Amino acid sequence: MRGLQLSLNQTQKVRLQRALEKLESLSSKPNSNASVIVADSIPVNHEDGLLKGHGTSEVNGEVVATVCGVVERVNKLVYVRSLRARYKPEVGDIIVGRVIEVAPKRWRVEINYSHDAVLMLSSMNLPDGIQRRRTALDELNMRTIFEENDVICAEVRGFQHDGLHLQARSQKYGKLGRGQMLTVPPYLVKRRKQHFHNLEKYGIDLILGCNGFIWVGEHVEVTDDMVVDQVSNSEQQSAKADKKILSPEEQERSYTPQETRENICRTANAIRVLSTLGFNITVEVIMDTVELSISLKQQVPIHEMLGAEFYVLVAEKEAARRSLTKKK
Amino acid sequence: MAFESRTNGFLHIVYSEMVGLSIGEKYFIQGGIAQDLRTDGRKRLSPRPIFVETGNISQSNGSARVRIGATEVIASVKAELGRPSALHPDKGKVSINVDCSPTAAPMFEGRGGEELSSELSVALQRCLLGGKSGSGAGIDLSSLAIVEGKICWDLYIEGLVVSSDGNLLDALGAAIKVGRHYIVDATSEEESQMSLAVSISVNRQGNICGLTKRGGAGLDPSVILDMISVALSVSERLINTLDSQRAAAEAGKDEL
Repeated sequence: MRGLQLSLNQTQKVRLQRALEKLESLSSKPNSNASVIVADSIPVNHEDGLLKGHGTSEVNGEVVATVCGVVERVNKLVYVRSLRARYKPEVGDIIVGRVIEVAPKRWRVEINYSHDAVLMLSSMNLPDGIQRRRTALDELNMRTIFEENDVICAEVRGFQHDGLHLQARSQKYGKLGRGQMLTVPPYLVKRRKQHFHNLEKYGIDLILGCNGFIWVGEHVEVTDDMVVDQVSNSEQQSAKADKKILSPEEQERSYTPQETRENICRTANAIRVLSTLGFNITVEVIMDTVELSISLKQQVPIHEMLGAEFYVLVAEKEAARRSLTKKK
Repeated sequence: MAFESRTNGFLHIVYSEMVGLSIGEKYFIQGGIAQDLRTDGRKRLSPRPIFVETGNISQSNGSARVRIGATEVIASVKAELGRPSALHPDKGKVSINVDCSPTAAPMFEGRGGEELSSELSVALQRCLLGGKSGSGAGIDLSSLAIVEGKICWDLYIEGLVVSSDGNLLDALGAAIKVGRHYIVDATSEEESQMSLAVSISVNRQGNICGLTKRGGAGLDPSVILDMISVALSVSERLINTLDSQRAAAEAGKDEL
């Protein structure tokens, strides 16, 4: 349990231990004989043309693993896939990133990868929604779309010669505001069909980026630019211009409502707890944890969610849930 | 012949993460503080839990490692015999050094951390030297080598120095002002929003040993009094927690 820095009393330690043991016994191990640790020798046929991939090395004629993980074989390729790897982008991944630089005709985005990703100006919808060639004026106005330190949501387009490229051509991608971004280990977020979740019950948006950045924020209506006509567009633009200069009182009135904020805090804390416990982060688990914390509102107020008692409860709940799904 | 006890305290600080924040995120944090519900669910005036481990560094007479959130501070105290200065023949010497390790944050690389270190050193010196009117007699001789620990610092300062004979305990309470409200024990994101910070050091008897104000914004005197009373109450709780943790740690060591 990396990073668990809580002081558990004796009963809590026992309960946590039991829950973790139960989880371990429930996990299926179809290829437990394929898992290796460093310096384990990989069983091969010593046939010709065997390609030794990542995580392997040839020592004294033996193919030996250099990382801890699972052995994978694809035709003639043998490699070891480590479990706690760095984020490895694939085409079509939905990610959450932070803009770190505004460069000519592109933005550089940090996505928890070994390099920075690039979002080209041409891969981004213009504010007025018209499809046209990007002019020099568009280039000068890039800052009005994204600035440094902005949190954005985009999709991986592919690997080009100068790095990883993103695209944000749909209305659901773009700048994220009114919320908080969390960082979890990337291997806890598995690729699913849906990464955007609108939790209507709580009025919040949840975006699970495959790179380990998770966005929890107020729900924002996704409007389709093409449908809106010119009149309302100009109204929107004037409203946006006014928003910049708000007096403190007006700012207070436009803060997120208390209830939504509570839900955002609860969800964020739930994600923190799950990431420290090392459980896979999916919407179902998050919702379960949030509902657990709401049902226990008396004993476990929001800030106690990061305390010892709630950790143990979440572990126990997860063990119970998995045993239930196993029985089905 | 008068022995002087020279106590050297070293405080090493390491910063763990500091990223920029978008306007939306900053707005969210400000809103949270205004509505008394911060990003991790704490109220404005509730501090995070503190974990104390003692005796990490065996070469020094006393050492402690304090952890709050992702921030860690390691302090160590060494005492050695030396000659007192001519001006104060009956007083000992205390020298405090704070070091911000470059592994803490990118901005601490090279000489970046020096400003912060000196600021913290001065603050600590003021509060520690004010609290002690003169140290006691010298204790056993230690090696002259300097002992430093490593500290990770993500949150605002909560530095703790445990002296070798354990009778000096200072808790620093920091109150940070954001907008029109102030909060205790800010995370690094909240800290990036602050207009100013007041660090108040309170000793065990509840007296104020030192007061440091950082940041350029002006402050009404009445607000300072407010913050002082808040810091007093928070520090009281803190000292109690620290005491119980220290006792537990030492009891655990005795059992071994």
